[in-house]
Amino acid sequence: MFLFFPLSEFWRTLLASIIGLLTLAGIMVRPFRWSEARIAMAGAGALLLLGLIRPADVARTLLRDWNTFLFFLGMMVLSALAETAGLFDWLAAQAARFAKRSAARLFLNVFLLGTLITMIFSNDATALILTPVVYVLVTRLRLPVLPYLFACTFIADTASFLLPISNPINVMILSRFPLDLLTFLRLLSLPSLVVIAINLGIFYLRYRKQLRGSFEIDHLPTAEKAVRHKAYFRYTLWVLAFVAPSYVIASAFQFPLSLVAIAGGLLLLAGALFWKRTTLLEAGKGTSWPIFGFIAGMFVVVRAIEDTGLTLKLGKLLLHLSRGTSFGAVMVGTFGSALGTNLINNVPMAVVMNSSLGTVQHAAPAIRNGFVAATMFGCDLGPNLTTVGSLATILWLLILRQRDVDVSGLDYFKVGVVVTPLMLLAGAFTIWLCM
Amino acid sequence: MRLLCCLDGTNTKQVSLAAQMFSTAEPVTIALLTVIDAGPRRDIDRTRERFWRPPLRHEPVTDEMQAAERAVSEDILKTGLRHLPQAETLLRQGLPELEIVNAAAEWRADVILICPRAEHGEPPNIGPRSVGHVARFVLDHAPCPVLLLRPLAGEQFPIRR
Repeated sequence: MFLFFPLSEFWRTLLASIIGLLTLAGIMVRPFRWSEARIAMAGAGALLLLGLIRPADVARTLLRDWNTFLFFLGMMVLSALAETAGLFDWLAAQAARFAKRSAARLFLNVFLLGTLITMIFSNDATALILTPVVYVLVTRLRLPVLPYLFACTFIADTASFLLPISNPINVMILSRFPLDLLTFLRLLSLPSLVVIAINLGIFYLRYRKQLRGSFEIDHLPTAEKAVRHKAYFRYTLWVLAFVAPSYVIASAFQFPLSLVAIAGGLLLLAGALFWKRTTLLEAGKGTSWPIFGFIAGMFVVVRAIEDTGLTLKLGKLLLHLSRGTSFGAVMVGTFGSALGTNLINNVPMAVVMNSSLGTVQHAAPAIRNGFVAATMFGCDLGPNLTTVGSLATILWLLILRQRDVDVSGLDYFKVGVVVTPLMLLAGAFTIWLCM
Repeated sequence: MRLLCCLDGTNTKQVSLAAQMFSTAEPVTIALLTVIDAGPRRDIDRTRERFWRPPLRHEPVTDEMQAAERAVSEDILKTGLRHLPQAETLLRQGLPELEIVNAAAEWRADVILICPRAEHGEPPNIGPRSVGHVARFVLDHAPCPVLLLRPLAGEQFPIRR
């Protein structure tokens, strides 16, 4: 039913497709600087209002992906409260201490720290919390800022398929296409190490001249100074010592990871409230609520597109392009997802791929697993190509560049466009070897 | 003569020596300028945007970032004053290249003294791309003559013909 008029299947399909594609295009271009959440919600609202998707289907779609929503929530609360404890500042200060005055060793340590934080807290924490912390640290140490910022921004994506919890995209895809932990590790551990090594190696070569110097130990903040409240800091370490292995155990038994993240978040919240390190209001402010609107909107829009059969066609096309081989599945999954993430951002791309991969559900296990692992790999690593946003952002930066002013965002693109295709190729090839 | 000396934290000595050479010729007024580069902050905000987060505004980490930037800049100016105690100091925040040319115009500089790029322990760089984007922009857009202070790199000569 279209508003109050019955509508033929053809027109319903056409309208839903147009709204879906307009939503994806809107996310890509962001007209009037509207947020992605607003655009996705507007698309979902239009579909609902025009009767192109039933309210019951919307409810079913959103309830089916409860694990993704709760994981995002738990992960954000955990990271924000660990930051309140001063954990990231403390870790960064330790990284500097272990560097023993060498700028190059500090660079390596920032890479390792980024890997560790991404592995346990997910890529959000590295990109959003560790980056400013490292910026403060290297500014104080009078070191060139850019190589270290690049290291944080890139490693957030490069290390985000070490574990299922290292990127919410993994949780989203694994909720629909479960892989047991051993299969996940078998397919993605070695590629992770390979791409981290490539990233580190290329960055080191690129910035070796700027990393020749050393820093004065007097400028180094003491690790104790980073700890804002000793008891809460120790409590945070204990909670994390419980949460990190729980993630691994939960992954092994395919227990919902969101519940572990939420439990960890609640434990930290209880501690923070007890030691008066935060209030409920502050903790709420530390969470990005629009993200839930964005994901919910995307789920609804893609569900409506799914009903039109478009995503099924995309899935069939991917399967066809793979020529029914595991090698093809890995390459098509990797490069298709990576390209998509740079056009419409990685969450929408993961939702689209999740819907399209329904077609490979009944394919041979090697092809199915190849597609699933490659989709995670492509969606996680792909954003490193444009890093500071989608291709639309890069085009905007290029326009700004014509004013002759240096646009640092373009530096990220210049580095990303060299290092990312290499990492994608090497990683995809390694996934195929590990199958 | 009004000399605007651009300090980046790695070139104080070089710029001061050049400024002292000017002061032997005629009476000069010197300003030491350092700019807190807003570029990295913009990059951080752009990354936040990719993760659907608002730009950093009043979070505790913002205060720490500002404090660190200010402390380093004041330190740079203080070091400059040790070499040129009679100089006045200018501290700006923004894109360095824009701030330098705008400061030169506002302060009515007769000459800008600038190094090709910040040197962080690497050997002197000569040849293609040895002039960084900030110095390049200043050379292209300055409202007055610019003295580019190249490093001493005699050992890299002769250049092969």
